[in-house]
Amino acid sequence: MNIVQAIKMAWKSILGKKGRSALTILGIFIGIAAVMTIVSVMEGVKIESMRQFEAMGSNRINVNIYAGGWDEKGNYTGKDYFPELYDFCNGMKKYVLGVTPNANLGASVSYGTKNSENMQYEYDDNWNLISGPPNCVYGSDQYSVCNNLSISRGRDLAWLDLENYNQVCVMGAKAVQVFFGNADPVGKILKVNGNSFTVVGVYAPRMDVNGNGAQMDNIIVFPYTARRVLGGQPIQEFIVKARDGASMEEAISRLSGFLKGLVDQHTGGYNVYSESNWQKESNEYLTMIGLVLGGIAAISLLVGGIGIMNIMLVTVTERTREIGIRRAIGAPRASIVSQFLIEAAMLCGIGGILGIAVGTLGSVVLSRLLVKMTVYPPVWVVLGAFGFSVALGIIFGSYPAIKASRLQPVEALRAE
Amino acid sequence: MARLIEVQNVYKIYGEGQENEVRALDGVSLCVDRGEFVAIVGQSGSGKSTLMNVLGCLDVPSRGRFLLDGTDVGELTDRELSRIRNRRIGFIFQQYNLIQGLSVLENVELPLIYQGMDPVERREMAMEALSKVGLAERFKHKPTQMSGGQQQRVAIARAIATRPPIVMADEPTGALDSRTGLEILRFLQQLNKEGSTVILITHDNGIAATARRVVRLSDGKIVEDREQEVDWL
Repeated sequence: MNIVQAIKMAWKSILGKKGRSALTILGIFIGIAAVMTIVSVMEGVKIESMRQFEAMGSNRINVNIYAGGWDEKGNYTGKDYFPELYDFCNGMKKYVLGVTPNANLGASVSYGTKNSENMQYEYDDNWNLISGPPNCVYGSDQYSVCNNLSISRGRDLAWLDLENYNQVCVMGAKAVQVFFGNADPVGKILKVNGNSFTVVGVYAPRMDVNGNGAQMDNIIVFPYTARRVLGGQPIQEFIVKARDGASMEEAISRLSGFLKGLVDQHTGGYNVYSESNWQKESNEYLTMIGLVLGGIAAISLLVGGIGIMNIMLVTVTERTREIGIRRAIGAPRASIVSQFLIEAAMLCGIGGILGIAVGTLGSVVLSRLLVKMTVYPPVWVVLGAFGFSVALGIIFGSYPAIKASRLQPVEALRAE
Repeated sequence: MARLIEVQNVYKIYGEGQENEVRALDGVSLCVDRGEFVAIVGQSGSGKSTLMNVLGCLDVPSRGRFLLDGTDVGELTDRELSRIRNRRIGFIFQQYNLIQGLSVLENVELPLIYQGMDPVERREMAMEALSKVGLAERFKHKPTQMSGGQQQRVAIARAIATRPPIVMADEPTGALDSRTGLEILRFLQQLNKEGSTVILITHDNGIAATARRVVRLSDGKIVEDREQEVDWL
């Protein structure tokens, strides 16, 4: 008997008991939908975080220094270590490309009628950022090197801007779009917390300005010495950009040695770690969350599989006589086995297809709600889910199928 | 040339060696040649159904040999036995044994499906068998929509669809009234005239009168084996 015939036969028998088939399918369907939603949302989050890491560039070292104390209001009053760090890093140019503070300042920025305080995040239908308040950050003249940025108009921040407390800034591509649309911002004056800052340059976008991850380029970079007028706590976090992977280890060990001598270990401390490690850890963490959640959802698949086995056993018992008839007119054992296996695999396969459809919908909806982006399940998840559900049918269907084939034709024919 | 059916000292014993041992077949030897019409007669419990199951390769004897066309059936694999049931033997049962979910045509096609025949040829052969029993127009019906006599005719069509050399009928009229029963027996005689070897199992001597040869079983033993004049129906 060929496979097409066998599939037709199985289809007929599934249709013959619609209600029961639907309930059996339900177990697999729910399991596949849940696992798929979870796996693909986690995949989406991972891919997106990778993309952002990659856009910022590799070989970055995070340096964290804290020293001194806090005043009565809870404000950090520690020492500003940046000048020393800057000199040290620029003294090992063989290993290091640059160093910059890595700090946000909560400032209100306005130009004409546009004011960051009145801005809301707006997204298009695909959750791409249309508009929103920019991130204002403090940087050095090496901010662009450390963050994989390049100037597309005007000029970058210069050391003199820092030294002279110049009231200037460089805008990210998205921030330009938010404040100026398509107009050239160079030379325009922004009001920042009431102070005038001249836009001297624009950074080229690192990601699609109208697409996912646009918020990364919705930035305005100020010389960190502008802290004198703009306020904010002394800076504790810095980024050091190493020349390459090999230089990174050397730079990390030199930085550690330097900071050990520089920072008073009794009142403060420091941390030096490579961002790729951190990235790896966060990836592992995401994978682990995905596995745990997926594992919980997979239990429902197991339950669904047992449901399939149960129903197939009932079916075998009900159809004992039919099996006897088929055996009497010439069906070999193997074709009885394949008949029941194909039926179980088809039930699960249908459940799988429905599950994939709902799982796709689920991952799109859930990813929009949770991480504000549209995640479609990767192809391997779709194929995997289908393959897995069919395999589930074969695994859980094999016991009933073998049981059916073991029946002696005479005994099977005697069954009522 | 080997005999078509040769049963040599066959036993079928249930619970052998135990106190409640049952000898359904107790040393049966029997030969049947091509083209014969044999009625196997006996009271219920005489072992006639067990004998048919053995002859039909549905059951294996506890002891003794069964040669079909010279081949020892006891040495065949499941696949080979299935092939014999499929191609050499057509079964007709008391309870018709049609598959309820399938249409008349699909039921008749079933043995041909197991032969792996292509759909067009299969359909042709099944329809031919159905027209022989006069039910060609009702091929789309479900068995449940038909009378007992009609269902048994569908079962006959299924049995002869593969054109097997042997047709075995186990109390084929048992569930039918006498008039439709006669109709079924007439079909069997017709098949025999056309060259099939027919083996008819029955407890009814009147029905056995339609066969040229009568083999009587009692307590698992052959107590009579004779030729007779036939009532042609």
